[in-house]
This record gives sequence, structure tokens and C-alpha cells, in this order.
Amino acid sequence: MRRHYPQHRVIRPMGHQGNHGRLAASALFLAGLGLLLFNLVASIPFGHAPLHVGRAILERASGETGADNIVTAILLGYRGLDTLGEVTILFTAAAAAGMVLASAGRGQAQGEDAGFIFRTAAWMLFPFLLVVGAYIIIHGHLTPGGGFQGGAILAAAFFTPLLASPASPFNHRVATLVEGFAGLAFIVIGLLGMLGGGQFLTQLFGKGAPGALFSAGSLPVLYLAIGLKVGSELAGLMASVFGGKEKA
Amino acid sequence: MTPALPAIIYPVALPLMGAFLLPIAARSLPELAGALGRVVVLVSMAVSAMLASSVWSSGPAVSAMGGFAAPLGIVFYADRLAMLFVLALHAGVFLFWPRGRGENAGAFTLMLTLLGGGSGLALSGDLFNIFVFYEIAAVASYGLAASGGGRAGYAAAIRFLILGSLGSTLALVGIALVYGATGTLNLADLARLAPRMLNNPLGLSAFLLLLIGFGVKAELTPVNTWAPEVYGAAPARVAALLAGVVSKLAIVVILRFLVLAFPMPAARAALLVTGILGVIAGELAAWRAPNLNQAFSYSSIAQLGMVAMAFSISGPAGIAAGVALALHHAVVKPAFFMLADRWRAPLESLKGAAKDSPLAAGLFVLLSLSIIGIPPLPGFWAKFLFLKAAMASSWSLVWFAAAVMLAATVVEAAWLLRAISAFYASAPQSAPRPPRPGMEHLGPALALGALLLAAMIFTAPLGASINALADEAGGAQAIAARVLDKGE
Repeated sequence: MRRHYPQHRVIRPMGHQGNHGRLAASALFLAGLGLLLFNLVASIPFGHAPLHVGRAILERASGETGADNIVTAILLGYRGLDTLGEVTILFTAAAAAGMVLASAGRGQAQGEDAGFIFRTAAWMLFPFLLVVGAYIIIHGHLTPGGGFQGGAILAAAFFTPLLASPASPFNHRVATLVEGFAGLAFIVIGLLGMLGGGQFLTQLFGKGAPGALFSAGSLPVLYLAIGLKVGSELAGLMASVFGGKEKA
Repeated sequence: MTPALPAIIYPVALPLMGAFLLPIAARSLPELAGALGRVVVLVSMAVSAMLASSVWSSGPAVSAMGGFAAPLGIVFYADRLAMLFVLALHAGVFLFWPRGRGENAGAFTLMLTLLGGGSGLALSGDLFNIFVFYEIAAVASYGLAASGGGRAGYAAAIRFLILGSLGSTLALVGIALVYGATGTLNLADLARLAPRMLNNPLGLSAFLLLLIGFGVKAELTPVNTWAPEVYGAAPARVAALLAGVVSKLAIVVILRFLVLAFPMPAARAALLVTGILGVIAGELAAWRAPNLNQAFSYSSIAQLGMVAMAFSISGPAGIAAGVALALHHAVVKPAFFMLADRWRAPLESLKGAAKDSPLAAGLFVLLSLSIIGIPPLPGFWAKFLFLKAAMASSWSLVWFAAAVMLAATVVEAAWLLRAISAFYASAPQSAPRPPRPGMEHLGPALALGALLLAAMIFTAPLGASINALADEAGGAQAIAARVLDKGE
């Protein structure tokens, strides 16, 4: 490239001496920080946390959101915007990593094929992982689990064959489509909540009977969007790292 | 009382929708990807301008996400301060949009997430939600720092990422301490609880942890070591955007924390000391810098130090001075980075640059005069506001800070004049002619120069609205009442 920075040593090879000095300084810093944090934490009265907001949420979460799983009520109800933000952080990180990997040359370090047994087993796992992932996403408002966990399992379904054989096909185009539209769906559901005089992410479709599959209004739909987004994103990122064959 | 305005989510929602759709568009319509992104920015900017005018005419607005009232849910709080920086971010993203087409789709996507995240940072009224938006903006900046490619860019981005992640972790610990001590994350709620519950060593250490974490983006000393390297290795447009606008968002968030959650003298002193250190270290390093790009990177550290010093003065006068300094720097520094992109060689080889590119050199002189603080230019008024606020304060450390700023101005003037005299010196016959800034550099720089001149003409109304903004942003209990006591 035309830019050249002689004044800036980009890779700094550390001498043996400097290395020890730095280690000692880092150890000292960490010890100090640890001591500070320990003292701070020790000064907090343990077991008497002022659950000012927490208690209020625990009391009314189930009734206000219709979700049996209180974690879901908090993640998608009270703090739904945080969850959109977290999905966006993951998306941003995947986009940044994808950009760097694309220009650094995809698939240069392709691993070896793991052999027939692994390849077959990976494909046999595929349908089961799909079912488990889907189940965990769809029941996120009722039982522990939800979009992030189920999405990671969905990603594993697509990614395990790639681990067994880097030559396995992976459709980046479909992954991009699912990822984009799932993210869009989350925001659109949020904006729809504003139609009837509500605010962003106001729940839609009524709360239903707590414990039923169709309950908690739009929260399960949000989880579905998160699951699809997380799944396609993780799978796509892994496929870029491990050199999945680009299939247009 | 305070109008509920659900539409204040749009400056966040629109860019994020654009970001999610852009990779799809880039696959099928690579030629149009960049233009589509710009359209999204423009639409979001128009909506933000409408929201800002409503906030300006009828006061701050609140939106409780999901309909869950504060403090249980997350609230967005749009006042003049927030809307001003939302608009500045939109303008910056539009002006410094990356070049290229579909092959650059990754950078376009990151610009849009940076826009959405940054807007959320300015608007959110919830400690943890602010952290989430800060992370979006941070991760997008790490990626953009590497978007120029090349080993230098990747190395700089990785170091930026490591420092930033360490900072974010500490900030998260700080947030946990606040939540552990008070049981709430809502800043308005904290404004009521803080004098009783956070005015202790625990509260101070929580503030320090937040200061370290958010200080990484705000280029506060000592967590700003990434800045010269990233600004040197990243594309000039990215350096202009990060140094110009994104750093200001981080320091505005620190101001919000200080006003709402940590109203204690020790927290102000901590911010003031990091500011003083930043001014001294930044200007001295700029004086010794090997080229203009590095000098501007270091001077950006010094300028943010000045903003930190101003924000640490209690009361609206300090806020007004800090906002004026931040706005001035947000206009001037990106223009400097654009001009200096081609002038990265040591100063000796830039002799006679003014002869080849008189417009760029003339603009450089104008910007330099303003940043030094020569009277009719806006830079003078910003520094004047700071000195006035400092003199009115009864805190002797602030007087020392004012003296540091005056001394730093002398150093700054010295190295800027050194560069200017090199431009206007006659070049030796044998020397190769210095490179000229192209239109892609001059365009944004000229736009910002024009903005600077416009600000000079409208100094009086600008000053009045900054004062009104500062009054509004400095009243912690009034903010708490607007957010928490709705309607009844």
C-alpha cells in the first residue's frame, strides 16, 4: 500500500528482559486491582442487597408479561431493548470478523477431512440438533432456554458437518438472508407495538393463559427471531473461519 | 407533564434495520450497497431532526420501552443534549461514509451499527442499556479501525480491541457495584437515591471503574494509548469519525453519570485530574509527533482532556463550556484529519505545499486559528466559556486546570505554526513536490470549514441555546421528576 509508517513499529518483538519486567508490572497491577475489588465486594453487605427494582419485577413479571419463565419476562419484556442490543453486538462482531476474514483470504487454512465415520455421524446428528434447537427456542417463554441457547444449538447443527469435513457445503447466501430478516423482524415487531398508542416493543397479541404454548403475546415471536438470527450468524461465522465452501 | 414520545426510538431502530438488511442488499445489488446505506442515514437524520425540533420547542421527551414504566423498564430520555449529539453523529456518519461499493459492504454495515449504537448511547436513560449501546459502538469501531486492511490496521485494531474489552469489563463491574448498592439501573432513579446510597467509597470506586471503561472511547488518560496508532493506521474517514464524534458521545455519557448518579466532589476531582493529565500529555506528545496525522491524534487526546476538565466544573457553566469545546472539536478535528491524510510525510518534505494546494493550506490556517482560539472564531468562545466557568468556580484545582489549558494553547500554537510556516516556505528546487489532498479529502474538510464560519456568524444564538441546553442537562432532580413522575 502507499502508506508507510516508519515511525511506528507495528510488531514489537519483546526482549527477554522487557518481557520479565512487563510480567512483573502486570502481576503487580492485577494484584492491586484484585485487592481493590476484593475490599469493595467485602464492603457490600452480603445477602442484604436492596432489591428495589428486582423485587417489584419478581412480583408482577408473570402477570404483566404472561410469560411463565421469569428470565424471559425480564429479557424480552422489561429489558427487551437490551436484548435487541445484545443481538446487534453479536451481529456487529460477526460482520467485523467476516470483513477481516474476507480480506485476509478465506479458507486458506482449511483443516483436514475427519474421515467417513465422523462425517456420517455429523449428518446423522443434524436432524436431532435441529429439533432440539427449535424446541428450546419455541418453549423459551415457558421453560429455561430461549433464542440464544436454541440458536447456538441450531448453529451447531449446521456447523458440525463442517467440523467433520471442511469441504461440506454451506450456503452463505441463505445464512445472510435468514440473519438479516430475523433481525429486521425483531425491530418490526417492536415498531408494530407503537401502532396502537403503545411504545417500542409493547407486547402484541394479548398475554394468553400463562403456561400455554401460545401465551406471552409477541415474546415467543421475538425469541424465534433471536434464535434464527443467532443460529445463522454463528454458523456463518464458523463457516467463514473454517473455510466452508462458498455456494452461490 | 413530560410528553411520552415513542418515536425517539427511530434514530436507533432505523440504522439498525438498515444494518441488518445491508448484507442482503450487498449480495444482490453490490453496485447500490453504499448508496442504500447513505439513504438510510439520511432518512434517520431527517427523523432525528424532526425529533430534535420537537424537543427544542416543547421540552424533553420520554419513552418507556415495552410500556414498562421506569424504573422497572428501560427508558429513553431525549433532551437537547442527547438530540444534539444524535444529530452530530448522523452528520458525521454521512460525511465520512466509506468509499467503494459492494466489496466494502462490511464497512457500510459497521457504520450503520455504529450510528444506531451511538444514538442509543446518547438517548438511553438506563445504566446497563447504555453499556449495551456502548458495546455496539465499540465493536463497530474495532471493525472500522481494521477496515483499511493491511498489517498495521489489523495490529492497531487488535490492540484497540484488547484495551477496549478490558475497559468494558471494568465498566461492567462498576455497573454491578451500582446495582448491588442501590438495586436500580435507571439513571433518573439513581439521581434520587445517589446522594444517600452512592456518596461513599463504594460509589466512588464504581464511578472510577465507569470512568476507565467509558474513558477508553473518550480518549481519557491513561486509557487512550490506542488512539495514535488507530488514527494512524485506519482510513482517514474512520479516524475523523472516531476522534470527531464517537469520542464526544462517550464523554457526554460520562457527564450524565456524573450529574445523575455520582454528585460528589471526589468524582469531579477524578474527572478533572484525568482531564489535566490528558491536556498535558496530549499537547506535549503532539509537539514531538513525527508527522501531522500523529500530532492531530495526540492533540485530540488533549482536546478531550479539556472537555473533561470543563465537565468536572459543577453547574451549568461547566456543562456549557464542555459542550462548546466538544462541538468545536467535532467540527475542526475531522477536517484536520482529512487534510492531513496526504500530508503524512515529515514536515521538512511538506515545504511549499501551499503553492500546490492553496485552498487546503488556507483551510488549514483557518482551522488552526480557531483551535488555538483567535477571537472571532468559535474556538475562542469555547475556550473563553471554559475560562469564565473556571474563574467563577471556588475550586483551586480548576484554576490550575485553567492555567494548564493556557499553557497547552501556547504549545499547540507553536506546533501548528511550525506546520503552517513549512507549508508557506519556498521549496528547494530539487525536492519532490509534496502530495496534494484530493477532492475526497477537501470536500468534507470544506464542508466542516463552512460550518465553522457559519458558527462564527451565529455565535450569539448558538451560545444562548448551549446555555439553555446546559441548564436542562445539569438539573438532576428535574430530570428525575420528568422521567419518574409521569402524568400524575
